[in-house]
Amino acid sequence: MINRRFFLGSSLALSGTLAMPAVLRAQSGPIRLGTLTPLTGSGGAYGPVMASVVKRAAEEINKAGGVNGRELLILSEDDQTNPEAGLRAARKLIDVDKVAAIIGTWASSVTTAVAPVAWESGTFLTTVSGADSITLLPHRGFLVRTQPNTTLQGRKFGEFALESGAKNVTFLSPQTPFTDSQYAEITKVVTAAGGKTTKLVYDDKKTTLRTEVDSVLRGKPDAIIMGGYATDTAILVRDLYRASYRGKLIGFGYAVNKQLVEALPPDVSEGILTLSPSAAAGSNGYAHVARLAGMETPDTYSCQVYDQISLVAMALGLGRGDTGTVIRDNIRKVSQGGGERVDTAVDGLKLIAAGRKVDYDGASGPCDFTETGDVTDAKFRYEQVRGGKITLIKIA
Amino acid sequence: MEALLQTLVNGLVAGSLLAVPALGFSAIFAVLRFPNFAIGALATAGAYGAWLANVGLGAPIPVAVAIGFVVAGLAGVAVEFAALDRLGRAGHLMKAIGSLAVGMVLENVIRFAFGNDLKAFDLPLARDIVFGPVRIGPQQLASVGFALAAMAAFWAFLSLTSLGRSMRAVADNPNLARLKGVDPTVVALVTVFLGAGLCGVGGTLIGLDASLDPLTGGRILLSVFAAAVVGGLGSIPGAVVGAFLIGITEEMSSLALAPAYRLAVSFAVIFLVLSFRPAGLLGRAVR
Amino acid sequence: MLTYILFALVIGSIYALLAQSLMLSWGLAGLVNLGLAGFFAIGAYASAMATTWHHAPIPAGLAIAIIVGGAVGLLVCISTLKLRDDYLAIVTLGFAEVVRVVASNEVWLTGGTDGIPGVPVMVPRDLGLGFHAGTLAVVVVAVALVYGLQRRLLAAPWGRTLRAIREDQTVASVAGKSTVRFKAEAFCIASAIAALAGALYGHYTSYVAPDQFQPLVTIYIFLAVTAGGNTRPAGAVIGAYALVAFLEATRFLADLVPGLAPVQAASLREIIVGLGLLLVLSVRPNGILPERSQKAPAR
Repeated sequence: MINRRFFLGSSLALSGTLAMPAVLRAQSGPIRLGTLTPLTGSGGAYGPVMASVVKRAAEEINKAGGVNGRELLILSEDDQTNPEAGLRAARKLIDVDKVAAIIGTWASSVTTAVAPVAWESGTFLTTVSGADSITLLPHRGFLVRTQPNTTLQGRKFGEFALESGAKNVTFLSPQTPFTDSQYAEITKVVTAAGGKTTKLVYDDKKTTLRTEVDSVLRGKPDAIIMGGYATDTAILVRDLYRASYRGKLIGFGYAVNKQLVEALPPDVSEGILTLSPSAAAGSNGYAHVARLAGMETPDTYSCQVYDQISLVAMALGLGRGDTGTVIRDNIRKVSQGGGERVDTAVDGLKLIAAGRKVDYDGASGPCDFTETGDVTDAKFRYEQVRGGKITLIKIA
Repeated sequence: MEALLQTLVNGLVAGSLLAVPALGFSAIFAVLRFPNFAIGALATAGAYGAWLANVGLGAPIPVAVAIGFVVAGLAGVAVEFAALDRLGRAGHLMKAIGSLAVGMVLENVIRFAFGNDLKAFDLPLARDIVFGPVRIGPQQLASVGFALAAMAAFWAFLSLTSLGRSMRAVADNPNLARLKGVDPTVVALVTVFLGAGLCGVGGTLIGLDASLDPLTGGRILLSVFAAAVVGGLGSIPGAVVGAFLIGITEEMSSLALAPAYRLAVSFAVIFLVLSFRPAGLLGRAVR
Repeated sequence: MLTYILFALVIGSIYALLAQSLMLSWGLAGLVNLGLAGFFAIGAYASAMATTWHHAPIPAGLAIAIIVGGAVGLLVCISTLKLRDDYLAIVTLGFAEVVRVVASNEVWLTGGTDGIPGVPVMVPRDLGLGFHAGTLAVVVVAVALVYGLQRRLLAAPWGRTLRAIREDQTVASVAGKSTVRFKAEAFCIASAIAALAGALYGHYTSYVAPDQFQPLVTIYIFLAVTAGGNTRPAGAVIGAYALVAFLEATRFLADLVPGLAPVQAASLREIIVGLGLLLVLSVRPNGILPERSQKAPAR
């Protein structure tokens, strides 16, 4: 009885999968790569532009002749900002689409859920997630992330606050995997310079943060560091303005992005300082992504996924293959270790085809990776919102 | 003390913004007897309608709020009659579950059309006005005004018009109302239009206060439910009382507890109220 | 491809357990449990903490999950049993959200939003296909056991009483049945089943985090149970497998529409899922396997 019913169930599932378009697998066909970004759910503000940047970057590579004469085919899936749904999507990309790499996982929880199936199947995973724990997973080299780790960012935030003359710094953030480590790092830097810090963790689903703002302002901070994402940061900035807060306001570049600035009247966003990982000054990568994304100031996630697809394409070009293992074995040969500096995959692939060694410096940073897949070093773009526009102050 | 006073004001503002959709939710429940879980998405739909009118057509804010009402109301009527009504035959619960699906569809239709990017009304942001120890924003005062006006209009409709009286009759006793010659379909239609419309106003007011994305309505969903349940499902004055209770408690609690626990506090309030009054503060105990 | 099918079957089996849980509390006891995701989470966390941090063997972890799930279920039930079903639906929905908020914020207890990675698995992962097949065997056994248990419970006087209570509380209590006790028992068992599903899920994916337990899972399971028929264990099981097949198939459907931006394809997919549910609800309000009419008791 049970068997029959179970069989019925499984054949239902089977018929579902068999009805899918037949997957053609040929060594000569296009090289398949997947994007897994949050298109719905709370990360939805970021996933769509990430997915389209990867698509456009691939088109650009294809126009220039592809990778070893083969086209790149990008398959987009939605992780729904939910590790359960993300895992199912990743399995589909890996087992049905047979992608060589999954690009762009955003939420740390999704990355942690997807990483094991990626490394087991020999699929390469590139991520923008920030949680420190991710690169500590036993990923056998099948994972890199372009987002600098949170300790480094926390330190930069602390230094930035001190630089702007602040002594009394408040960290206002929703609960994220890096809230605690970032705050600890900010505190270390600020207290070493004789300042003090406080922290408040808010609920990022609230539609008003007035009471949170009130309670923070009673401590009379002269700088507030915002740890959230675009949607909740928009609410926070508005409520800080209403409360006539006039101190420094510092946020992540991905939260205080073009989208947020456009959603706020110019006098409200005026003066917000932001920080994003960046390549050294003079690199063309950033300007290139700006063209590709069709916006003047793309945020760091767009830059990072651009670097990810470029590195993956070049690693495949160098290794003359189409698998995750090829990417793993070659990615560091194109990302670091000297050679001709390139900042686009098209240039890099040309040089690789000519047998030259390349060293990619991307739009989000030099993209040199440690053994465990963290970036070794990153410069930061320091920007400020001026007159409703994000303006570069310096890269350091 | 100052903190307490200020938080109380914040809570009152939050409560009045919550009261509008809670009223809509409770009205639909009173007449159609099912919890409509699509109200979050309906609120978002109304807010997008208002935003389009404001930014696309240059409508002033009061007109945009009215358009938000109409758009959400029409959307509510459309889904009621396209999808939910036929589920009613299998029981109220089927409609409740169906409304979860409707919410999912609506949210994604909005996402399909507008994307996930933040949208903002064309509205300058003013600094708060300070009255002694408390401060309040002009925009918030206006929003509270809109909320009170919407509630008052709804109240007047219920007590002054014959259609409103029919609605109350159906809410009290559907069988008796039918005997008295009230057409249940018309009453259901009007109720859904008004109830969903109020949710649309609620969504628009949140959009004015913050910004707008496809999840805007979904964020207030649980607080709206909490308000309606505490007040007594189906009770119109109960929804308003419940909204203020939830609004004030959520804000007040952040003085003593971690603000991240706001939602847990709401449910603690529900728990407490329901333990003493199983039908909510102003609900009737009949089944 | 085979891995994908095995994977979908494991997920389908875990959904089948959740569906059985919902069938028992909703279909039979008439308790609308919109907090299913919360019990799913509690089971996953209980077993993951015990096995990952305290190195308990997996069977012990599963047992702990069942016990903790049942206990919390009992607690929730006792405090809400007097409520009407519409109140219960909203209160349990809130309960699940509170579980998620606690799991996200009490970092010392749950690991916070980072979750618990490296949860031990039931079959060695490096077996490749064998890992999925082996896990599938384990979860199918769990589904079968729960299925058998449900059939026995339903055939027993206990099940008949439960149905009587669902149909008419007053009559049943007049007949001398303690409605509260029966409902509490049903809810407690149902919660324990959901917790078991959570524990198995954690031991398959090696990872437990608050984001996994969003209300969407609950909606999916309601979809499965309604599609299959909410009063029969077999209906719930079939509904769950059909749901996973449907959810996965929608990926390919949305791809058929050309010229869509990724975000539009994703929203189209969710629209299809929502419309699918509405279609099932309106075409077959009683599910694929409707309730069998019981032998008419003497009136």
